[in-house]
This record gives sequence, structure tokens and C-alpha cells, in this order.
Amino acid sequence: MGLLSIIRKIKRKEKEMRILMVGLDNSGKTTIVMKINGEDTSVISPTLGFNIKTMAYQKYTLNIWDVGGQRTIRSYWRNYFEQTDGLVWVVDSSDLRRLDDCKYELDNLLKEERLSGASLLIFANKQDIQGSLSPDEIAKVLYLDAMDKSRHWKIVGCSAFTGEGLLEGFDWMVQDIASRIYMLD
Amino acid sequence: MEDNEQPSHDSAATAAAALEQKHAAMLERLANRHQSRATAKPDSNSSGSTQSFLSQFSQSKLSIDDQISRIRTQPNPPQKAELEAISLGISALEKLVAEHSYLLPPYEVRNSLTAITHLRQTLDDASAAVAPKKKFSFKNKSSKKSAAPASDQKSEVVSEVESNKTNPRLGKLGLMDSSAAPGFRNKDKEELEMEFNRGEVDARNGEFTLSNLRDCEVRLKGCLRALFVDNVVKCKVYVGAVMGSVLIEGAEGCVFVLASHQIRIHNAKKCSFYLRVRSRPIIEDSNGVRFAPYCLSYRGIEEDLAEANLDEETGNWANVDDFRWLRALQSPNWSLLPEHDRVGMLNTDKKNEK
Repeated sequence: MGLLSIIRKIKRKEKEMRILMVGLDNSGKTTIVMKINGEDTSVISPTLGFNIKTMAYQKYTLNIWDVGGQRTIRSYWRNYFEQTDGLVWVVDSSDLRRLDDCKYELDNLLKEERLSGASLLIFANKQDIQGSLSPDEIAKVLYLDAMDKSRHWKIVGCSAFTGEGLLEGFDWMVQDIASRIYMLD
Repeated sequence: MEDNEQPSHDSAATAAAALEQKHAAMLERLANRHQSRATAKPDSNSSGSTQSFLSQFSQSKLSIDDQISRIRTQPNPPQKAELEAISLGISALEKLVAEHSYLLPPYEVRNSLTAITHLRQTLDDASAAVAPKKKFSFKNKSSKKSAAPASDQKSEVVSEVESNKTNPRLGKLGLMDSSAAPGFRNKDKEELEMEFNRGEVDARNGEFTLSNLRDCEVRLKGCLRALFVDNVVKCKVYVGAVMGSVLIEGAEGCVFVLASHQIRIHNAKKCSFYLRVRSRPIIEDSNGVRFAPYCLSYRGIEEDLAEANLDEETGNWANVDDFRWLRALQSPNWSLLPEHDRVGMLNTDKKNEK
């Protein structure tokens, strides 16, 4: 029995899920994590490096890796790909100018083989800001329909500011991962 | 004693008989168990379900094979949906294997997995042969190019139809980008002022953009949710309270006076920032940027700042993180503005009255 299978077994027993949060800078990744964990979201600095949050969600334990999105540190994202069960891509729906950037980075990410099995949740964040694009519009701009059909994905509009939509997104992702990994239980 | 012996002998005999009986019962039970194991187990577990799995598997495999060969021989190129349906079928097959992998003998698991990979391969080959897979890319041009060498006229038509479909989307996005979002754009040597109405929740909930400005003075009063600044040169930008984040991308020779929850500064050269910020401001790809505390006043600014939770000085204006300088030493790209170089309190009301 290899080490990997031992780890897998332990993981299964503890019902752990590894979630990777990525997206451009200023999209609200850290705010989402803080909000869903019930922490104060009013003082959050741009993430230099990464944060890890472990939280109980339903009957699972989520290990959320929240990685900084500034351009200079995007190249380090790949260090976090291994063993990722769920990928959360956060979009600032009010930042129309950088949607191209956003599309480019997401496309790069989805080419990554180590992430090919991960469920993909796209948060169209900042829906509370007037003039932001709806989740449908974001899906069109990002060409989500053109994605590989074997990928499990969903786009959810949310606001980390009010908390709206966050649970809906996480519920879907946790269910999707559970049905994939813990199918045998 | 004899009286005693008799019963004891009796009891020994009965005990022996009982033991024998027990033994027989146990043997029977064992036999039963063995038999039930021999019959029930294969029935419910291995062979029965293996059998049913195998038949199910081979059935769906056959149908997928059939579909693929039909696509190969079809005169007109297959619809995307058709290919997707097949691919979904293969995925379902994969799932079936995964569900049964617990019960199946390893040989069967391995066998069926290779069969699945084989199916995938043939599907890929088939779809590549009939309709070359378009690369997922952002430029319509490149997608057309990849479809062109197909030499199949029909597939080119399909790709053209698709690219026509996507163009309006892009146009739509471009339109939103340039005009729909509120902001000041493409101005030269102008004084620009905007007041976000107090009390009207809608106006406060919006974002604002400053783009391609040169030699301008910009005064934003009131409370807003987000501010995007890109490509501003030699401008003065005075902003009331930003309840969310400020994103500056490309600024040269500017003075910014900002109060915000978060501030990100990219590609700035020789700028001064007078900030009040709840978190640590960051710079990236910038140099010659200098920082000082917030110094703006206009009528009602106290209420705006209080509304946005920015009424307290946090001292964070001096805690700058440089993402291009990840060392303990002070980054050469930014510095604190010496006190004697700072502008005094700026009042944007007075300018109005002039």
C-alpha cells in the first residue's frame, strides 16, 4: 500500500476536503472565506502569500487554501494544486476592464492536469455593487459553456459583503465533491 | 454414594449426549454457514453482481462503440451535442466502474478501465477525424485557423457560425466596458467633479472609474463602493470615502488623496498618495511612490467617512506592502513623504466657490 493510498484512506475517514480559492486580486477571496467562517470582514489586507482555514461544514472538514491573487504571486498558484478536491474561482463582477485578464488566468488554470478532477465553483462576487455583471453575463464572457464536459462546474452570484449566495455555492461544491469522493460510503 | 453415583453417571451420559448433540448441531450450523457462504456470497456479492455488472458494462460499451462508428460513417459532420452525449456516456460508464470497484475482482476493474480509456481514445480519434476539435481560445481568429486545415467545408461553416455567435457578445462586453459603467474617461486638462448623493442608497452602492485622464483634477465627494483608476497622468485625484476597494493600474506623476478599506496600486511611477486605509495598502510594479496621511476636507466629509467606517486614523497609510520586494528590508520602490514636502489640508469646497 503506497503512502498515497494511506493518506487517501485517512482523508476519507475524516471526511476532509481540500478547497483552493483563486482569482484575480481584488476579487474578494479572503473576504469570502472570512465571511463564511463568521469573522470580521472590515479589515482585510491584500493577501501576501496565502491563508489556510479549516472549518467544519455539514459533516465534512474543509481545508480552504486562500491564495493571494496579485499578478506577481500568481505564478505560485501551481504550488497549491496537488490533491485539490474543489476549485473556487472568484470573479469581481464589477471590474469589467479586467475580465479579459480573468478569462486568461482561468483558462490557464483549467489546462492544469492536477486540477482536472476538481469540482469548479465560480463565484460572481460583488453582486451588491450596482453595475456589476450578472452570473449569466459572467458565464458568457468566460465562455464557461465551452468548457470540457467532464468538468463539474457551477457559477453562483454572491456578495461577500452581505454574505448572499456564499452558502449556496459552498453547498453545491461540498455535495459535488462528496458524491465523487465518498461515493463508496 | 451409589445414589449419588447413579445420577452422576446418568448426568455424565446425558452430558455426553448433549455434547454430541451440540457438536452435531454445531457441525450442522457450520455446514449451513459454509453452504450459505458458498451459495449466498457469490449470489449477492462477487459472481452475481460481477456478472450483472459485466453484462451492463458490455452493453453500454457496445452501444457507445456503435455510436462512435456511426459518427465515423456519417456523411455530414456530427453535432457537438452528439459528441457530448457520447462523452457523457463514457463518463457514466466510468462512474459505473467506480461504484462497483469495491466488489469487483481487480482483474475486472483493470479490464474495464482500460476499455474505457480505449473508448475515450476512439471517440477522440473519431471526433478529430470528422470535426477537428477547436482549441479553447479567446481569439476568434485562432479558432478559425485551427478549423481551417480540416479541409472539410462544412466544419468551416460551423466554426464560422460559431464565431459569428460569439462576436456580438464581445461587442456587448466592449459596450458595457466603455459607456455603461459610470466614470470619467478620456479627458485632457479638465476639472471633473462628481458628488455621490447623500442619502440615496443606490448612488452609494455603485462603482466609479477614472480612465485615460491627463492633466486633470478630479474631485469625488460622498461615499462610493469601489473605485477603478487606470492610466492617469499628471492628475490630482481627491476622493471622499470608498467603502470597498480602490484599484489603481497605471499612474504617473499624480497626487491621490483617498480614503478606502483596501488600496492596490499597480504600475505607478512618481506619485504621491495621501491615504486613510483600514488595511495595508499594497504596491506592485511601482517605483518612486510616496505615502502620507489623508488630508482632505469638504462639507460633510465627516459623515461620509463615518458612514464608510473610515473616521478613525489607523496609521496603515505607512504600512505599505510591496509585492515586488518580498524581503524584510525597506523596499526601494516606495517611501514616506517627508513632512515638509506634504501638502497641507486640502479643502475641495473652496475650489468650488472660486
